[in-house]
Amino acid sequence: MNIFLHELKANLKSLIIWGVIMVVFVVIGAAKFSAYAGNPEMLSILDAFPKAMLEALSMIAFNLTTVTGFFGIMFVYFALMGAIAAAMWGSGIISKEERDKTVEFSLVLPVSRTRVITAKALAGLVNCIAFVLVTWAVSLVVVQPYAPDAAFYSFLRMEMAALFIIELIYLAVGLLLGCAMQRYKLSGATAVGIILVTYFLSIVVSLDSKLDFLKYFTPFKYFDASQFFRMGHFDLVYLLLSAAIIVLSLVVAYLSYNRRDLYI
Amino acid sequence: MSATIYKHEFFSRLKSVLVWSVSLMLLVLFFFSIFQSFADQAALLNEMMAQFPPALLEAFGITKTDLSSVLGYFSFLLVFVQLCLAIQAGNYGFGLVSIEETELTADFLLTKPVSRLQIITSKLLVAFSCLLLTDLAVTASTFIAIALLSGGRPYDTGTLGLLLVSMLILQLFFLSVGMVISLLVHRVRSVTPYSLALGFGAYILAAFSGIFGDVKLEYITPFKQIDAAYIVLHNAYDMPLLLVNLAVTVVALLASYALYLRRDIPTAS
Repeated sequence: MNIFLHELKANLKSLIIWGVIMVVFVVIGAAKFSAYAGNPEMLSILDAFPKAMLEALSMIAFNLTTVTGFFGIMFVYFALMGAIAAAMWGSGIISKEERDKTVEFSLVLPVSRTRVITAKALAGLVNCIAFVLVTWAVSLVVVQPYAPDAAFYSFLRMEMAALFIIELIYLAVGLLLGCAMQRYKLSGATAVGIILVTYFLSIVVSLDSKLDFLKYFTPFKYFDASQFFRMGHFDLVYLLLSAAIIVLSLVVAYLSYNRRDLYI
Repeated sequence: MSATIYKHEFFSRLKSVLVWSVSLMLLVLFFFSIFQSFADQAALLNEMMAQFPPALLEAFGITKTDLSSVLGYFSFLLVFVQLCLAIQAGNYGFGLVSIEETELTADFLLTKPVSRLQIITSKLLVAFSCLLLTDLAVTASTFIAIALLSGGRPYDTGTLGLLLVSMLILQLFFLSVGMVISLLVHRVRSVTPYSLALGFGAYILAAFSGIFGDVKLEYITPFKQIDAAYIVLHNAYDMPLLLVNLAVTVVALLASYALYLRRDIPTAS
Protein backbone atom coordinates (compact mmCIF):
# COMPACT_ATOMS: atom_id res chain seq x y z
CA MET A 1 0.00 0.00 0.00
CA ASN A 2 2.80 2.39 0.91
CA ILE A 3 4.62 1.66 -2.31
CA PHE A 4 1.41 2.13 -4.26
CA LEU A 5 0.77 5.54 -2.73
CA HIS A 6 4.39 6.54 -3.10
CA GLU A 7 4.34 5.65 -6.81
CA LEU A 8 1.08 7.50 -7.36
CA LYS A 9 2.64 10.58 -5.86
CA ALA A 10 5.85 10.18 -7.82
CA ASN A 11 3.93 9.88 -11.08
CA LEU A 12 1.45 12.63 -10.34
CA LYS A 13 3.43 15.30 -12.17
CA SER A 14 3.70 13.17 -15.29
CA LEU A 15 -0.02 12.41 -15.11
CA ILE A 16 -0.90 16.08 -14.80
CA ILE A 17 1.29 16.96 -17.78
CA TRP A 18 -0.35 14.25 -19.89
CA GLY A 19 -3.79 15.39 -18.74
CA VAL A 20 -3.02 18.94 -19.80
CA ILE A 21 -1.72 17.70 -23.17
CA MET A 22 -4.93 15.76 -23.79
CA VAL A 23 -7.13 18.68 -22.80
CA VAL A 24 -5.23 21.07 -25.07
CA PHE A 25 -5.27 18.54 -27.90
CA VAL A 26 -9.03 17.95 -27.74
CA VAL A 27 -9.75 21.66 -27.44
CA ILE A 28 -7.55 22.50 -30.47
CA GLY A 29 -9.21 19.68 -32.39
CA ALA A 30 -12.65 20.97 -31.53
CA ALA A 31 -11.68 24.47 -32.65
CA LYS A 32 -10.63 23.05 -36.01
CA PHE A 33 -13.77 20.98 -36.25
CA SER A 34 -15.92 24.09 -35.99
CA ALA A 35 -14.80 24.97 -39.53
CA TYR A 36 -16.00 21.59 -40.75
CA ALA A 37 -19.32 21.07 -39.05
CA GLY A 38 -21.96 20.61 -41.70
CA ASN A 39 -19.79 21.62 -44.67
CA PRO A 40 -20.95 19.55 -47.67
CA GLU A 41 -18.11 20.65 -49.98
CA MET A 42 -15.60 19.04 -47.68
CA LEU A 43 -17.51 15.81 -47.78
CA SER A 44 -17.42 15.67 -51.57
CA ILE A 45 -13.66 16.12 -51.53
CA LEU A 46 -13.23 13.31 -49.04
CA ASP A 47 -15.47 11.05 -51.09
CA ALA A 48 -13.12 11.44 -54.03
CA PHE A 49 -10.05 10.21 -52.15
CA PRO A 50 -8.93 6.68 -52.99
CA LYS A 51 -9.42 4.06 -50.34
CA ALA A 52 -5.77 3.41 -49.57
CA MET A 53 -5.06 7.06 -49.00
CA LEU A 54 -8.00 7.52 -46.67
CA GLU A 55 -7.11 4.41 -44.77
CA ALA A 56 -3.54 5.58 -44.39
CA LEU A 57 -4.94 8.69 -42.77
CA SER A 58 -7.62 6.53 -41.11
CA MET A 59 -10.34 8.71 -42.56
CA ILE A 60 -12.35 5.95 -44.18
CA ALA A 61 -15.99 5.48 -43.28
CA PHE A 62 -16.22 8.74 -41.45
CA ASN A 63 -18.28 11.69 -42.32
CA LEU A 64 -15.99 14.42 -41.12
CA THR A 65 -18.75 16.96 -40.98
CA THR A 66 -20.34 15.26 -37.96
CA VAL A 67 -18.98 14.98 -34.42
CA THR A 68 -18.95 11.20 -34.70
CA GLY A 69 -16.75 11.34 -37.77
CA PHE A 70 -14.54 13.90 -36.15
CA PHE A 71 -13.96 11.76 -33.07
CA GLY A 72 -13.35 8.79 -35.33
CA ILE A 73 -10.36 10.63 -36.80
CA MET A 74 -9.18 11.82 -33.42
CA PHE A 75 -9.03 8.26 -32.14
CA VAL A 76 -5.72 7.49 -33.89
CA TYR A 77 -4.09 10.34 -32.02
CA PHE A 78 -5.74 9.40 -28.74
CA ALA A 79 -4.41 5.87 -29.17
CA LEU A 80 -0.93 7.08 -30.10
CA MET A 81 -0.66 9.39 -27.12
CA GLY A 82 -2.18 6.85 -24.76
CA ALA A 83 0.29 4.25 -25.93
CA ILE A 84 3.28 6.57 -25.44
CA ALA A 85 2.12 7.59 -21.97
CA ALA A 86 1.39 4.03 -20.88
CA ALA A 87 4.63 2.58 -22.24
CA MET A 88 6.66 5.31 -20.54
CA TRP A 89 4.85 4.77 -17.23
CA GLY A 90 5.25 1.02 -17.45
CA SER A 91 8.95 0.94 -18.22
CA GLY A 92 9.86 3.97 -16.13
CA ILE A 93 8.11 2.91 -12.94
CA ILE A 94 10.33 -0.17 -12.66
CA SER A 95 13.58 0.98 -14.19
CA LYS A 96 13.76 4.32 -12.40
CA GLU A 97 14.70 2.52 -9.18
CA GLU A 98 17.83 1.25 -10.82
CA ARG A 99 18.57 4.53 -12.53
CA ASP A 100 18.20 6.52 -9.33
CA LYS A 101 20.10 3.86 -7.36
CA THR A 102 17.15 3.33 -5.00
CA VAL A 103 16.48 -0.29 -5.87
CA GLU A 104 18.54 -1.63 -2.97
CA PHE A 105 16.43 0.46 -0.63
CA SER A 106 13.20 -1.08 -1.90
CA LEU A 107 14.77 -4.51 -1.47
CA VAL A 108 15.50 -4.04 2.22
CA LEU A 109 11.85 -3.26 2.89
CA PRO A 110 9.86 -6.19 4.31
CA VAL A 111 8.01 -6.79 1.04
CA SER A 112 8.61 -9.34 -1.66
CA ARG A 113 9.58 -8.34 -5.18
CA THR A 114 6.23 -9.63 -6.35
CA ARG A 115 4.45 -7.15 -4.11
CA VAL A 116 6.68 -4.33 -5.30
CA ILE A 117 5.73 -5.00 -8.92
CA THR A 118 2.05 -5.41 -8.04
CA ALA A 119 1.99 -2.06 -6.27
CA LYS A 120 3.80 -0.38 -9.15
CA ALA A 121 1.61 -1.98 -11.79
CA LEU A 122 -1.51 -0.85 -9.93
CA ALA A 123 -0.15 2.69 -9.75
CA GLY A 124 0.39 2.56 -13.52
CA LEU A 125 -3.13 1.23 -13.95
CA VAL A 126 -4.60 4.11 -11.93
CA ASN A 127 -2.67 6.54 -14.14
CA CYS A 128 -4.10 4.95 -17.27
CA ILE A 129 -7.63 5.11 -15.87
CA ALA A 130 -7.14 8.76 -15.02
CA PHE A 131 -5.79 9.41 -18.53
CA VAL A 132 -8.90 7.90 -20.13
CA LEU A 133 -11.25 9.70 -17.77
CA VAL A 134 -9.65 13.09 -18.48
CA THR A 135 -9.86 12.49 -22.24
CA TRP A 136 -13.45 11.35 -21.92
CA ALA A 137 -14.51 14.28 -19.75
CA VAL A 138 -12.98 16.96 -21.96
CA SER A 139 -14.44 15.27 -25.06
CA LEU A 140 -17.90 15.40 -23.52
CA VAL A 141 -17.43 19.08 -22.76
CA VAL A 142 -16.26 20.17 -26.23
CA VAL A 143 -19.07 18.39 -28.12
CA GLN A 144 -21.85 20.11 -26.19
CA PRO A 145 -22.32 22.96 -28.72
CA TYR A 146 -23.12 20.39 -31.44
CA ALA A 147 -25.81 18.60 -29.39
CA PRO A 148 -24.76 15.06 -30.44
CA ASP A 149 -27.22 12.16 -30.46
CA ALA A 150 -27.18 9.00 -28.34
CA ALA A 151 -25.27 7.10 -31.04
CA PHE A 152 -22.36 9.47 -30.58
CA TYR A 153 -22.20 8.86 -26.85
CA SER A 154 -22.12 5.11 -27.26
CA PHE A 155 -19.44 5.49 -29.96
CA LEU A 156 -17.39 7.68 -27.65
CA ARG A 157 -17.80 5.09 -24.89
CA MET A 158 -16.43 2.39 -27.20
CA GLU A 159 -13.58 4.65 -28.24
CA MET A 160 -12.59 5.21 -24.64
CA ALA A 161 -12.82 1.48 -23.91
CA ALA A 162 -10.55 0.83 -26.90
CA LEU A 163 -8.15 3.54 -25.74
CA PHE A 164 -8.05 1.93 -22.30
CA ILE A 165 -7.25 -1.53 -23.69
CA ILE A 166 -4.49 -0.11 -25.90
CA GLU A 167 -3.07 1.63 -22.86
CA LEU A 168 -3.19 -1.62 -20.91
CA ILE A 169 -1.28 -3.42 -23.65
CA TYR A 170 1.47 -0.82 -23.70
CA LEU A 171 1.54 -0.57 -19.92
CA ALA A 172 2.01 -4.34 -19.64
CA VAL A 173 4.69 -4.38 -22.33
CA GLY A 174 6.40 -1.43 -20.64
CA LEU A 175 6.36 -3.24 -17.29
CA LEU A 176 7.80 -6.29 -18.99
CA LEU A 177 10.65 -4.25 -20.44
CA GLY A 178 11.34 -2.60 -17.10
CA CYS A 179 11.36 -5.95 -15.30
CA ALA A 180 13.19 -8.09 -17.82
CA MET A 181 15.85 -5.78 -19.24
CA GLN A 182 19.20 -6.18 -17.56
CA ARG A 183 20.25 -2.62 -18.29
CA TYR A 184 17.80 0.04 -17.23
CA LYS A 185 18.78 2.36 -20.06
CA LEU A 186 17.70 -0.18 -22.63
CA SER A 187 14.15 -0.51 -21.36
CA GLY A 188 13.20 3.06 -22.26
CA ALA A 189 14.94 2.85 -25.63
CA THR A 190 13.22 -0.44 -26.45
CA ALA A 191 9.86 1.02 -25.49
CA VAL A 192 10.46 3.85 -27.97
CA GLY A 193 11.38 1.32 -30.62
CA ILE A 194 8.23 -0.70 -30.02
CA ILE A 195 5.99 2.37 -30.19
CA LEU A 196 7.59 3.58 -33.43
CA VAL A 197 7.56 0.17 -35.10
CA THR A 198 3.95 -0.62 -34.18
CA TYR A 199 2.82 2.85 -35.24
CA PHE A 200 4.58 2.65 -38.61
CA LEU A 201 3.22 -0.86 -39.12
CA SER A 202 -0.30 0.40 -38.57
CA ILE A 203 0.25 2.89 -41.41
CA VAL A 204 2.05 0.55 -43.77
CA VAL A 205 -0.58 -2.18 -43.39
CA SER A 206 -3.22 -0.04 -45.05
CA LEU A 207 -1.03 0.92 -48.00
CA ASP A 208 -0.93 -2.49 -49.58
CA SER A 209 -3.38 -5.38 -49.22
CA LYS A 210 -0.52 -7.87 -49.48
CA LEU A 211 0.68 -6.68 -46.09
CA ASP A 212 -2.63 -7.37 -44.40
CA PHE A 213 -1.25 -10.12 -42.16
CA LEU A 214 0.96 -7.55 -40.41
CA LYS A 215 -2.08 -6.07 -38.66
CA TYR A 216 -1.80 -8.73 -35.96
CA PHE A 217 1.51 -7.24 -34.91
CA THR A 218 0.33 -3.74 -34.15
CA PRO A 219 -2.14 -2.96 -31.34
CA PHE A 220 -3.05 0.28 -33.13
CA LYS A 221 -4.85 -1.86 -35.69
CA TYR A 222 -6.65 -4.02 -33.12
CA PHE A 223 -9.12 -1.26 -32.50
CA ASP A 224 -9.91 0.47 -35.73
CA ALA A 225 -12.34 3.29 -35.05
CA SER A 226 -14.05 2.94 -38.41
CA GLN A 227 -14.50 -0.77 -37.86
CA PHE A 228 -16.08 -0.70 -34.44
CA PHE A 229 -18.11 2.28 -35.58
CA ARG A 230 -19.60 0.18 -38.36
CA MET A 231 -19.98 -3.05 -36.39
CA GLY A 232 -20.98 -1.59 -33.05
CA HIS A 233 -18.73 -3.98 -31.12
CA PHE A 234 -15.07 -4.99 -30.93
CA ASP A 235 -13.64 -7.87 -32.89
CA LEU A 236 -13.38 -10.86 -30.56
CA VAL A 237 -10.12 -12.06 -32.11
CA TYR A 238 -8.41 -8.81 -31.23
CA LEU A 239 -9.87 -8.71 -27.75
CA LEU A 240 -8.47 -12.17 -27.08
CA LEU A 241 -5.16 -11.20 -28.65
CA SER A 242 -4.97 -8.10 -26.44
CA ALA A 243 -5.76 -10.14 -23.34
CA ALA A 244 -3.12 -12.69 -24.31
CA ILE A 245 -0.45 -10.00 -24.78
CA ILE A 246 -1.31 -8.34 -21.47
CA VAL A 247 -1.37 -11.57 -19.44
CA LEU A 248 1.75 -12.97 -21.06
CA SER A 249 3.71 -9.75 -20.56
CA LEU A 250 2.72 -9.56 -16.90
CA VAL A 251 3.54 -13.21 -16.22
CA VAL A 252 6.97 -12.91 -17.82
CA ALA A 253 7.52 -9.61 -16.02
CA TYR A 254 6.85 -11.18 -12.60
CA LEU A 255 8.92 -14.27 -13.33
CA SER A 256 11.92 -12.40 -14.64
CA TYR A 257 11.96 -9.69 -11.97
CA ASN A 258 11.82 -12.26 -9.19
CA ARG A 259 14.87 -14.05 -10.50
CA ARG A 260 16.83 -11.12 -11.79
CA ASP A 261 20.19 -9.86 -10.63
CA LEU A 262 19.32 -6.24 -9.99
CA TYR A 263 21.74 -3.49 -10.99
CA ILE A 264 22.86 -1.71 -7.87
CA MET B 1 37.36 20.98 -28.39
CA SER B 2 39.05 18.07 -26.67
CA ALA B 3 39.96 15.00 -28.69
CA THR B 4 39.73 12.70 -25.67
CA ILE B 5 36.18 13.71 -24.85
CA TYR B 6 35.22 13.53 -28.50
CA LYS B 7 36.56 10.01 -28.86
CA HIS B 8 35.02 8.79 -25.64
CA GLU B 9 31.62 10.29 -26.40
CA PHE B 10 31.65 9.13 -29.97
CA PHE B 11 32.23 5.51 -29.08
CA SER B 12 29.61 5.58 -26.38
CA ARG B 13 27.09 6.84 -28.95
CA LEU B 14 28.22 4.56 -31.76
CA LYS B 15 25.85 1.71 -30.97
CA SER B 16 22.85 4.01 -30.85
CA VAL B 17 23.85 5.56 -34.19
CA LEU B 18 24.16 2.13 -35.77
CA VAL B 19 20.75 1.00 -34.51
CA TRP B 20 19.03 4.18 -35.70
CA SER B 21 20.81 4.14 -39.08
CA VAL B 22 20.02 0.52 -39.83
CA SER B 23 16.37 0.89 -38.74
CA LEU B 24 15.91 3.98 -40.86
CA MET B 25 17.52 2.36 -43.88
CA LEU B 26 15.14 -0.56 -43.53
CA LEU B 27 12.21 1.84 -43.11
CA VAL B 28 13.03 3.64 -46.36
CA LEU B 29 13.59 0.41 -48.28
CA PHE B 30 10.42 -1.13 -46.90
CA PHE B 31 8.27 1.86 -47.84
CA PHE B 32 9.73 1.93 -51.32
CA SER B 33 9.12 -1.77 -51.81
CA ILE B 34 5.37 -1.10 -51.98
CA PHE B 35 5.77 2.06 -54.05
CA GLN B 36 4.89 0.57 -57.43
CA SER B 37 1.56 -0.94 -56.45
CA PHE B 38 0.66 2.16 -54.48
CA ALA B 39 1.58 4.55 -57.28
CA ASP B 40 -1.06 3.15 -59.62
CA GLN B 41 -3.77 3.83 -57.10
CA ALA B 42 -2.43 7.28 -56.43
CA ALA B 43 -2.59 8.11 -60.12
CA LEU B 44 -6.36 7.67 -59.92
CA LEU B 45 -6.48 10.11 -57.05
CA ASN B 46 -4.75 12.79 -59.10
CA GLU B 47 -7.39 12.59 -61.80
CA MET B 48 -10.18 13.02 -59.30
CA MET B 49 -8.51 15.83 -57.46
CA ALA B 50 -8.25 17.76 -60.70
CA GLN B 51 -12.03 18.14 -60.66
CA PHE B 52 -12.06 20.33 -57.57
CA PRO B 53 -11.27 24.01 -57.54
CA PRO B 54 -7.71 24.41 -56.19
CA ALA B 55 -8.71 27.18 -53.79
CA LEU B 56 -11.10 24.85 -52.02
CA LEU B 57 -8.52 22.10 -51.63
CA GLU B 58 -6.04 24.56 -50.23
CA ALA B 59 -8.56 25.94 -47.77
CA PHE B 60 -8.91 22.48 -46.30
CA GLY B 61 -5.19 21.88 -46.17
CA ILE B 62 -5.17 19.14 -48.78
CA THR B 63 -1.86 19.45 -50.50
CA LYS B 64 -1.44 18.62 -54.11
CA THR B 65 1.25 16.08 -53.43
CA ASP B 66 1.43 13.67 -56.30
CA LEU B 67 1.88 10.32 -54.59
CA SER B 68 2.39 8.52 -57.86
CA SER B 69 5.68 10.35 -58.43
CA VAL B 70 8.93 9.32 -56.82
CA LEU B 71 9.37 12.57 -54.94
CA GLY B 72 5.75 12.81 -53.88
CA TYR B 73 5.92 9.36 -52.41
CA PHE B 74 9.27 10.09 -50.84
CA SER B 75 7.91 13.22 -49.19
CA PHE B 76 5.10 11.08 -47.76
CA LEU B 77 7.48 8.57 -46.22
CA LEU B 78 10.00 11.24 -45.26
CA VAL B 79 7.61 12.42 -42.56
CA PHE B 80 8.07 9.11 -40.74
CA VAL B 81 11.83 9.26 -41.18
CA GLN B 82 11.73 12.80 -39.81
CA LEU B 83 9.79 11.61 -36.77
CA CYS B 84 12.51 9.07 -36.01
CA LEU B 85 15.27 11.59 -36.65
CA ALA B 86 13.54 14.08 -34.37
CA ILE B 87 13.39 11.57 -31.53
CA GLN B 88 17.00 10.55 -32.06
CA ALA B 89 18.20 14.16 -32.16
CA GLY B 90 16.02 14.93 -29.14
CA ASN B 91 17.61 12.03 -27.29
CA TYR B 92 21.09 13.34 -27.96
CA GLY B 93 20.11 16.91 -27.14
CA PHE B 94 18.36 16.14 -23.86
CA GLY B 95 21.09 13.72 -22.83
CA LEU B 96 24.09 15.81 -23.87
CA VAL B 97 24.63 17.48 -20.52
CA SER B 98 22.06 15.84 -18.29
CA ILE B 99 23.35 12.31 -18.66
CA GLU B 100 26.52 13.21 -16.74
CA GLU B 101 24.37 14.53 -13.94
CA THR B 102 22.04 11.53 -13.67
CA GLU B 103 24.99 9.17 -13.75
CA LEU B 104 26.82 11.33 -11.23
CA THR B 105 29.87 11.77 -13.42
CA ALA B 106 29.46 15.51 -14.02
CA ASP B 107 31.79 16.59 -11.23
CA PHE B 108 34.38 14.05 -12.31
CA LEU B 109 34.36 15.56 -15.76
CA LEU B 110 34.87 19.03 -14.33
CA THR B 111 38.00 17.99 -12.45
CA LYS B 112 39.67 17.36 -15.79
CA PRO B 113 41.91 20.06 -17.22
CA VAL B 114 39.37 21.14 -19.80
CA SER B 115 37.13 24.19 -19.75
CA ARG B 116 33.36 23.89 -19.79
CA LEU B 117 33.46 25.52 -23.19
CA GLN B 118 35.60 22.66 -24.46
CA ILE B 119 33.35 20.07 -22.85
CA ILE B 120 30.13 21.30 -24.37
CA THR B 121 31.73 22.01 -27.75
CA SER B 122 33.22 18.53 -27.99
CA LYS B 123 29.97 16.90 -26.94
CA LEU B 124 28.00 18.98 -29.44
CA LEU B 125 30.38 18.05 -32.23
CA VAL B 126 29.96 14.39 -31.37
CA ALA B 127 26.19 14.66 -31.45
CA PHE B 128 26.46 16.51 -34.74
CA SER B 129 28.73 13.87 -36.27
CA CYS B 130 26.38 11.13 -35.12
CA LEU B 131 23.37 12.83 -36.65
CA LEU B 132 25.31 13.41 -39.84
CA LEU B 133 26.23 9.73 -40.02
CA THR B 134 22.57 8.77 -39.67
CA ASP B 135 21.73 11.25 -42.41
CA LEU B 136 24.27 9.70 -44.72
CA ALA B 137 22.81 6.26 -44.06
CA VAL B 138 19.32 7.49 -44.92
CA THR B 139 20.62 9.26 -48.01
CA ALA B 140 22.40 6.14 -49.18
CA SER B 141 19.35 3.95 -48.67
CA THR B 142 17.17 6.51 -50.45
CA PHE B 143 19.31 6.42 -53.55
CA ILE B 144 19.47 2.64 -53.44
CA ALA B 145 15.70 2.38 -52.99
CA ILE B 146 14.97 4.79 -55.83
CA ALA B 147 17.41 3.06 -58.15
CA LEU B 148 16.07 -0.41 -57.42
CA LEU B 149 12.41 0.03 -56.61
CA SER B 150 11.01 3.07 -58.38
CA GLY B 151 10.63 1.35 -61.72
CA GLY B 152 12.67 3.99 -63.48
CA ARG B 153 10.26 6.87 -62.93
CA PRO B 154 11.94 10.24 -63.43
CA TYR B 155 12.60 12.65 -60.57
CA ASP B 156 14.38 15.92 -59.95
CA THR B 157 17.73 15.42 -58.21
CA GLY B 158 17.90 18.99 -56.97
CA THR B 159 14.60 18.71 -55.12
CA LEU B 160 15.62 15.38 -53.66
CA GLY B 161 18.76 17.10 -52.41
CA LEU B 162 16.67 19.80 -50.74
CA LEU B 163 14.59 17.11 -49.03
CA LEU B 164 17.65 15.28 -47.79
CA VAL B 165 19.28 18.46 -46.50
CA SER B 166 16.04 19.33 -44.71
CA MET B 167 16.62 16.29 -42.50
CA LEU B 168 19.77 17.86 -41.12
CA ILE B 169 17.99 21.15 -40.41
CA LEU B 170 15.31 19.26 -38.51
CA GLN B 171 17.87 17.29 -36.52
CA LEU B 172 19.74 20.44 -35.51
CA PHE B 173 16.47 21.97 -34.34
CA PHE B 174 15.65 19.07 -32.05
CA LEU B 175 19.24 18.74 -30.86
CA SER B 176 19.55 22.35 -29.77
CA VAL B 177 15.99 22.74 -28.46
CA GLY B 178 16.37 19.51 -26.50
CA MET B 179 19.62 20.72 -25.04
CA VAL B 180 18.30 24.10 -23.96
CA ILE B 181 15.24 22.51 -22.35
CA SER B 182 17.45 20.06 -20.47
CA LEU B 183 19.43 23.00 -19.11
CA LEU B 184 16.34 25.02 -18.22
CA VAL B 185 14.50 22.37 -16.21
CA HIS B 186 15.73 21.58 -12.75
CA ARG B 187 16.75 18.03 -13.48
CA VAL B 188 16.26 15.58 -16.33
CA ARG B 189 15.85 12.18 -14.73
CA SER B 190 15.20 10.20 -17.87
CA VAL B 191 15.83 11.37 -21.40
CA THR B 192 13.35 9.29 -23.39
CA PRO B 193 10.05 10.73 -22.10
CA TYR B 194 11.27 14.23 -22.94
CA SER B 195 12.47 13.44 -26.45
CA LEU B 196 9.36 11.37 -27.16
CA ALA B 197 7.08 14.15 -25.99
CA LEU B 198 8.92 16.78 -28.04
CA GLY B 199 9.19 14.62 -31.18
CA PHE B 200 5.70 13.18 -31.15
CA GLY B 201 4.17 16.45 -29.98
CA ALA B 202 5.60 18.28 -32.99
CA TYR B 203 4.64 15.40 -35.27
CA ILE B 204 1.03 15.15 -34.10
CA LEU B 205 0.54 18.91 -34.42
CA ALA B 206 1.77 18.69 -38.01
CA ALA B 207 -0.13 15.52 -38.92
CA PHE B 208 -3.28 16.90 -37.39
CA SER B 209 -3.05 20.11 -39.35
CA GLY B 210 -2.80 18.08 -42.54
CA ILE B 211 -6.29 16.74 -41.99
CA PHE B 212 -7.97 19.76 -40.56
CA GLY B 213 -7.87 23.01 -42.43
CA ASP B 214 -6.13 26.22 -41.88
CA VAL B 215 -5.01 27.08 -38.36
CA LYS B 216 -1.78 29.01 -38.05
CA LEU B 217 -0.85 27.38 -34.77
CA GLU B 218 0.93 24.52 -36.48
CA TYR B 219 3.61 26.81 -37.82
CA ILE B 220 5.34 26.40 -34.50
CA THR B 221 6.11 22.79 -35.35
CA PRO B 222 9.35 22.15 -37.28
CA PHE B 223 7.61 19.45 -39.30
CA LYS B 224 5.58 22.23 -40.92
CA GLN B 225 8.42 24.72 -41.06
CA ILE B 226 10.30 22.28 -43.29
CA ASP B 227 7.26 20.67 -44.84
CA ALA B 228 8.38 17.99 -47.29
CA ALA B 229 5.19 18.37 -49.33
CA TYR B 230 5.85 22.08 -49.74
CA ILE B 231 9.43 21.46 -50.88
CA VAL B 232 8.29 18.98 -53.53
CA LEU B 233 5.57 21.29 -54.77
CA HIS B 234 7.71 24.42 -55.05
CA ASN B 235 11.19 22.92 -55.51
CA ALA B 236 12.32 25.25 -52.75
CA TYR B 237 12.12 25.79 -49.01
CA ASP B 238 9.45 27.96 -47.49
CA MET B 239 11.96 30.73 -46.77
CA PRO B 240 10.29 32.72 -43.95
CA LEU B 241 9.46 29.54 -42.03
CA LEU B 242 12.91 28.10 -42.64
CA LEU B 243 14.45 31.27 -41.23
CA VAL B 244 12.19 31.03 -38.16
CA ASN B 245 13.34 27.47 -37.70
CA LEU B 246 17.03 28.34 -38.05
CA ALA B 247 16.63 31.31 -35.72
CA VAL B 248 15.12 29.08 -33.01
CA THR B 249 18.00 26.64 -33.47
CA VAL B 250 20.66 29.33 -33.17
CA VAL B 251 19.03 31.00 -30.18
CA ALA B 252 18.65 27.65 -28.41
CA LEU B 253 22.29 26.85 -29.12
CA LEU B 254 23.58 30.17 -27.80
CA ALA B 255 21.32 29.97 -24.76
CA SER B 256 22.62 26.46 -24.04
CA TYR B 257 26.19 27.69 -24.06
CA ALA B 258 25.34 30.58 -21.78
CA LEU B 259 23.39 28.36 -19.39
CA TYR B 260 25.96 25.59 -19.27
CA LEU B 261 28.91 27.90 -18.65
CA ARG B 262 27.14 29.29 -15.58
CA ARG B 263 25.40 26.11 -14.46
CA ASP B 264 25.53 24.91 -10.87
CA ILE B 265 26.62 21.33 -11.44
CA PRO B 266 25.35 18.86 -8.83
CA THR B 267 28.00 16.63 -7.29
CA ALA B 268 27.94 12.97 -6.42
CA SER B 269 27.87 12.97 -2.65
